[in-house]
Amino acid sequence: MIKIISKLLKYPKSLLLGLFMITVVFFVFLRANGRMETDLDKYMPQEHPAFVYSDKAEKWFDIKDGIIIAVENKQGIYNSGTLSKVKELTKELQKMKEIEPRDVTSLYTADNILGTDEGLDVKAFYKRVPETETELKELQENIKGNDMVFGRLVSTDETVTVIVARIDDDVFSQEFYHRILETVKKYNEPEILHVAGRPIVEGTMAYLGPKDMKKMIPVVLVVIVLVLFLLLRNFKSTLLTVLVVFFSVIWAFGLMAALNVPAYAVSSMIPVMLIAIGVADGIHMYSHLHIYLKDNTQATKSEAVFDMVKEMWKPVVMTSVTTAVGFISLLSSEVYPIKYFGLFTAFGVLTAMAVSLLLIPAGILVFGLPKVKERKSTDETKTKKWESDFHGIISKFLIRNKTITLAATILILIVSAYGMSKIWINSSFLDKFERNSDIVLTDKFINEHFGGTSTLNVILEAKKENAFKNPDVLLQMSKIQIDLEENLSEVGGSFSLSDYIQRMNQVMNSDKKEFNTIPDSETLIAQYLLLYEMSGDPNNLWEVVSEDYKKANLTFQLKNDNSKALNAAIGRIEKSREFFESRGITMKYAGSGYKGLVFTDLILEGQIKSVIISLFIVIGLLALMFKNITIGLIGSIPIVITTVISFGIMGLLDIPLSTTTALLASIAIGIGIDYAVHFIERYKIYARETENREKTIRLTMLHSGRAIMFNAFVVIMGFLVLTVSVFPPNRALGGLVSLGMFTSFIGTLTVMFLVLYLSGIYFRKSKK
Amino acid sequence: MKILKYIAVLFIAAVITQTAMANSLTGYQIIEKAVNRPAPKTQKATLTMTLVSSSGSKRVREIDQFTNDDSKVEKKIMFFQKPADVRGTSFMNFSYSGDKADDQWIYLPALKKVKRISSDSKGDYFMGSDFTYDDLGDRNPKDDNHEILREETLNGEECYVVSSTPKDKDYMYSKTITWVIKNKWIGLKKIFYDENGDLLKTLNVIDYKNIDGYWIQTIVKMINEKTKHETIMNLSNIKVNDSVPNSYFSERIMKRGIK
Repeated sequence: MIKIISKLLKYPKSLLLGLFMITVVFFVFLRANGRMETDLDKYMPQEHPAFVYSDKAEKWFDIKDGIIIAVENKQGIYNSGTLSKVKELTKELQKMKEIEPRDVTSLYTADNILGTDEGLDVKAFYKRVPETETELKELQENIKGNDMVFGRLVSTDETVTVIVARIDDDVFSQEFYHRILETVKKYNEPEILHVAGRPIVEGTMAYLGPKDMKKMIPVVLVVIVLVLFLLLRNFKSTLLTVLVVFFSVIWAFGLMAALNVPAYAVSSMIPVMLIAIGVADGIHMYSHLHIYLKDNTQATKSEAVFDMVKEMWKPVVMTSVTTAVGFISLLSSEVYPIKYFGLFTAFGVLTAMAVSLLLIPAGILVFGLPKVKERKSTDETKTKKWESDFHGIISKFLIRNKTITLAATILILIVSAYGMSKIWINSSFLDKFERNSDIVLTDKFINEHFGGTSTLNVILEAKKENAFKNPDVLLQMSKIQIDLEENLSEVGGSFSLSDYIQRMNQVMNSDKKEFNTIPDSETLIAQYLLLYEMSGDPNNLWEVVSEDYKKANLTFQLKNDNSKALNAAIGRIEKSREFFESRGITMKYAGSGYKGLVFTDLILEGQIKSVIISLFIVIGLLALMFKNITIGLIGSIPIVITTVISFGIMGLLDIPLSTTTALLASIAIGIGIDYAVHFIERYKIYARETENREKTIRLTMLHSGRAIMFNAFVVIMGFLVLTVSVFPPNRALGGLVSLGMFTSFIGTLTVMFLVLYLSGIYFRKSKK
Repeated sequence: MKILKYIAVLFIAAVITQTAMANSLTGYQIIEKAVNRPAPKTQKATLTMTLVSSSGSKRVREIDQFTNDDSKVEKKIMFFQKPADVRGTSFMNFSYSGDKADDQWIYLPALKKVKRISSDSKGDYFMGSDFTYDDLGDRNPKDDNHEILREETLNGEECYVVSSTPKDKDYMYSKTITWVIKNKWIGLKKIFYDENGDLLKTLNVIDYKNIDGYWIQTIVKMINEKTKHETIMNLSNIKVNDSVPNSYFSERIMKRGIK
């Protein structure tokens, strides 16, 4: 390896040009073939049984997510102005190519089934916009009298009415999202129009997240450049270190484009990882160069460079390979975007390694050594003395207080473990937004006036046809609905076949409230259903039951799309499983909310699996590299500490796990390994050189310790920038990456250092 | 009988003349002829309605139906025989010429009550099938603008192909295209486009018969192209101009049935 590098370094200019050309090639690929995947369904593993089933159920019952448009008039909606807006907007939505006309529901499209003494009256609420006082009054009475509309399409305070446009998953695009918002805007005033619903939330997120990242990443880079410059005190060194990150990001994304892999939302984490990891190699190499130049003031440019390469190639390769292996372990995840994330980050890490080992030395050979600090010699020695004293004091302090340090660490770990037990996964999209953002306020507004913007579908499947004409089964369905609506504040409404039967029973009995029940005769139910098919739109019926009455769909409306609300609902629904199973009816779940829940579970499961796998691989690799199993175990200390504390703090601060935050374990591994390897490698070298434990510690602290501190400082400063982001998930990311860097750094320099010291490894002979 | 023969000869002569004039027929005339082709005054038949869902599950209904059409009002009474859970359910429909909405009654044996159903929409689906009342009843040709597209052979029959666009822009179809068999003036196929101009439904006439001089479509199949739902209606045991007295059309008969 060293031979290849040395040979290549004989032609530093061509080498620089070569690296630059490769980067250009990857950049061209990226420009020509790079694309972003915005269809959230593509993120989910299509072959997973829960998704396969949900997709099937969505087809059976035509379950689709709806865009909800609320038309609010504080003076009340029963006036010709508001009603004509509802009509016009309904028609405009029906004419959009993304929306099927029959998928738009509003007061204008809904049918009113009225019971009269002599019969049944099926009518549209209005076709021509009512003008007169009497017509408006009549409409108001009709709506109030119909439970299937009052509270569902019109709020009970009669100031809001909704238009729901259901759309297929695959039609949603940024362009459509903006067109919907523009269309709705035209209808404002005096009415206020609000747009909500899962497609809108997903659309806003897909739009806001990357937009915010695009804005923030350059700021992060600028801060990192500035901090690096402050620490390295040299422009050229800073530039070369940052170029390493820059090249590795372009290579990684260029390769993705070349292999025709689209960028997913998690892919925006790749540069995040590469920034955090890529600067480390440069910092450690420069750190070594500085020390070498201080000790050998007369050394030539090439002597210094070759010493740097000779001494540093090994730890750089070791750290990079272990980090890459850590990321490759993400291939065990069932979620494709995460697999790709692991694979291409690993590639980026190896790129950063190769580029660091070639670009930095070649750059120094071409552009010259960084100027040795031309400070007054008194200052110089003062600084040096202070630095050396500082590190010496820290190490002495730690050794003196080893019991306290170890006890404190264990205490922190116990508290963190408690925090970890409280951690929860959140599949919510809405929780990713600012509490006072438009989208959250609109959602809240609609949830206050209506049943809920999120849905959970319960799919019941029987073995026999006509099973759902059975009164007992229908009654049980109705019982679940009442139970959830009464006992869970998050459940705002529900809808099933039993609602239709109850409505028909009431209507056919002169609209008397006491008949709003399930009749106990199966033939009467069958005849009601036939009647409904004959008089209403049977397509409505096929959204709650299959045509052979073998399958049924119970829909719950939830006021919150987070995992807690979904799990609470599922918990209560599960109580009826026994009842249904005793009748040969199976119960399963479906819908986008449920898929989101399963999806986050899968991500978490994949994360835990990959963390455990990579922990073992890393211990093994370290043991192999240092030819010592104890070293492997000691080297894993920073990783374990960082992982446990990160997740512990998330639990304690009630930050839920999500697709992005779950990936933080990977950062912990990537960075923890770097620190451990650099530190142990130096420790080993100085141990051989000095054969003195105290000296070894002091020198290692000065060499690696300083570099680690620099590295941590640079990345922490960079990522703290993200904490002022407008997009909460990016804020959490900034805070947690900074925290991870900090704990890795502290963990390496305190606990791992102590354990290494106490283990007496590399000092066998002098061991007392 | 002589008079009848005379009429028949006249009728044939008329048909021949019309054939000769065929090329000069307008789209409106073709549709008008199809709508106003001779129809029996009364009809008895068994209607077998097969509903096929998109997943392929089938539901079969068997209905005895009796019709009496005196050109002002078409009265129809239907008795469900199958499936068993709705046996005895009956349905009565009075359809008026002109703009007057249909009158409908239903009798549910399990409820033992006859109820009136009033509906304001001709766009409602007929008994949960893929046919709307409008698709079944003959829409007034004056409600659409017609245009003859071409003449072509379909299933071995010479047909006119006519495109019809409703004058009312809010109508549920934006356009229909009808294949009308020359000389028989019977529709063989029809396709429907929704408000946005997308293909919505296809109607195929699978079989038709001449029963006592009347061309009657006996097997028709409607496919909803959006939902992939199908309805097949099959008329059997057809008897035309048999005795279907006005007394059949009463609430009493709805409850009792016709033995």
